[in-house]
Amino acid sequence: MPALRWQPIASLLLSIYGLGASIYLTITHFQPKALACVSNSTFNCEKVTQSPQSEIFGIPVAMLGLVFFVPMILLCLPAAWRSADRRIHLARLALSVTGVGMIIYLISAELFVIKAICIWCSSVHITTLILFIIIATASPIVLATGYGTTDGTPVDGDES
Amino acid sequence: MADKQQKPVTGGNKPKPTGNGGQSAKDKSRAASRPVAAKGAAGGKGGNTPRPGKSGAAAPRPSGSRTGVLVAWGSVALVVVIIAVLFIVNATKSTTQNLSYTPVTPAPAQVVSDVANIPLSTWNKVGVTSQFPVAKPNILSGQPAMTLDGKSPAMLYYGAEYCPYCAAERWAMATALARFGTWSNLKITASSHTDVDAATNTFSFYGATLDSPYLTFKAVEQYTNVPVSGTPGAYTNLQNPTKEEGAIISKYSSSKFLPNASSSGGVSFPFVNINNLALISGASYDPQILAGQTWTDISSGLSDPTNPITQAILTTGNYMSAAICNSTKGQPGDVCTSSGVQAAAKALGISAS
Repeated sequence: MPALRWQPIASLLLSIYGLGASIYLTITHFQPKALACVSNSTFNCEKVTQSPQSEIFGIPVAMLGLVFFVPMILLCLPAAWRSADRRIHLARLALSVTGVGMIIYLISAELFVIKAICIWCSSVHITTLILFIIIATASPIVLATGYGTTDGTPVDGDES
Repeated sequence: MADKQQKPVTGGNKPKPTGNGGQSAKDKSRAASRPVAAKGAAGGKGGNTPRPGKSGAAAPRPSGSRTGVLVAWGSVALVVVIIAVLFIVNATKSTTQNLSYTPVTPAPAQVVSDVANIPLSTWNKVGVTSQFPVAKPNILSGQPAMTLDGKSPAMLYYGAEYCPYCAAERWAMATALARFGTWSNLKITASSHTDVDAATNTFSFYGATLDSPYLTFKAVEQYTNVPVSGTPGAYTNLQNPTKEEGAIISKYSSSKFLPNASSSGGVSFPFVNINNLALISGASYDPQILAGQTWTDISSGLSDPTNPITQAILTTGNYMSAAICNSTKGQPGDVCTSSGVQAAAKALGISAS
């Protein structure tokens, strides 16, 4: 099994992008005119961000993106990836599973209920999916016994 | 932690290549300070292969078990498959929809009954309060009352069966007009399957009549929802306005009466003219709120003033009712003096009696 090399930095960069996109979508949820997006019968960001499905229990989905990506950034810091504390790795995994569950719901809503695709939202969905793939496939390594201890697998930057 | 480190690790990594023929100075330092228990891990059954070179005494890298790896990649595969299936189902559905349309069929009796028997208390509770935004009609002043077929007051609707905005507006018109008369031959259909707000369930006013002692209502559905083969966005012609209707449409759809009308001319569907007093161009509320709703879903909710869809439909209907009441000089009284219609009249700055 390969050691972690690129996963920490890739996941961190993806999380930062996700946070930025979520901030933008949150702003445009409240100020639709600020939304820069193509609009045709397939792609229509405004239709998606202003749809009834854009809120869950009155909370804008874009804002839930912020709630997702802020802790994800912290959990994807190289120090967090190197940690011997399994709880950090389990939290990262749980958060990514929650995120991917959410995007499955949101993709379903876009395709079958709203019937429009929001490109900005899709970029966040893809980011979340890639994050899930990275975290899920890295989890057997970081959750293995002894990981992060001085006996453990050196990860990116560990040997510097 | 020490106990955990003593557990054997199943599966295993291949030896990690080391730079400079072995560990770095930092690694050596770590190995030197490594707890004895940790070193013991190297001897575990099924554990990692010890690192080569000087690090032979060092503990192996931890790794995921084979089961863990399988679960991880299995989960990833499952998620990817689920998302792929969603897109494939959607693509298949779209392909099917592209080739089809919702036929026009007689409206179920229950739907017509629901539309015609909305409790006055529901109308009044909704008034002009809607969770979803509802646009007010444009109110004109100084225009002569509309005459159609020699009768006045009158109301004219000009739209098309494919048009999603008409689909939304028809629900409000059907409910509002049912307060002033009795519908016959109402049909149900849906908007275009390929336009925005695809397949929004609605009525067709083609062939429908409103028997009313107060108002003459005429509807023109210019196009069907049947696509013209080979011409995307085109639909077969259904009904042309009469000369009288055409003159009214032409005059009142201009930018002189509709501030948002295109300066280059043309009519936006739907165009609704209530006795040359109130004009509606386009949908009063977003058709998207009707997405996924069947005819009976919508009609059965019309007696619930807390239903957001009902609120949008009845708010629009109260605006229309207020304009009609202004034209009928407050007839029928129970409708025109109701608090919902009065609230709408006040919002429009007109009298409903």
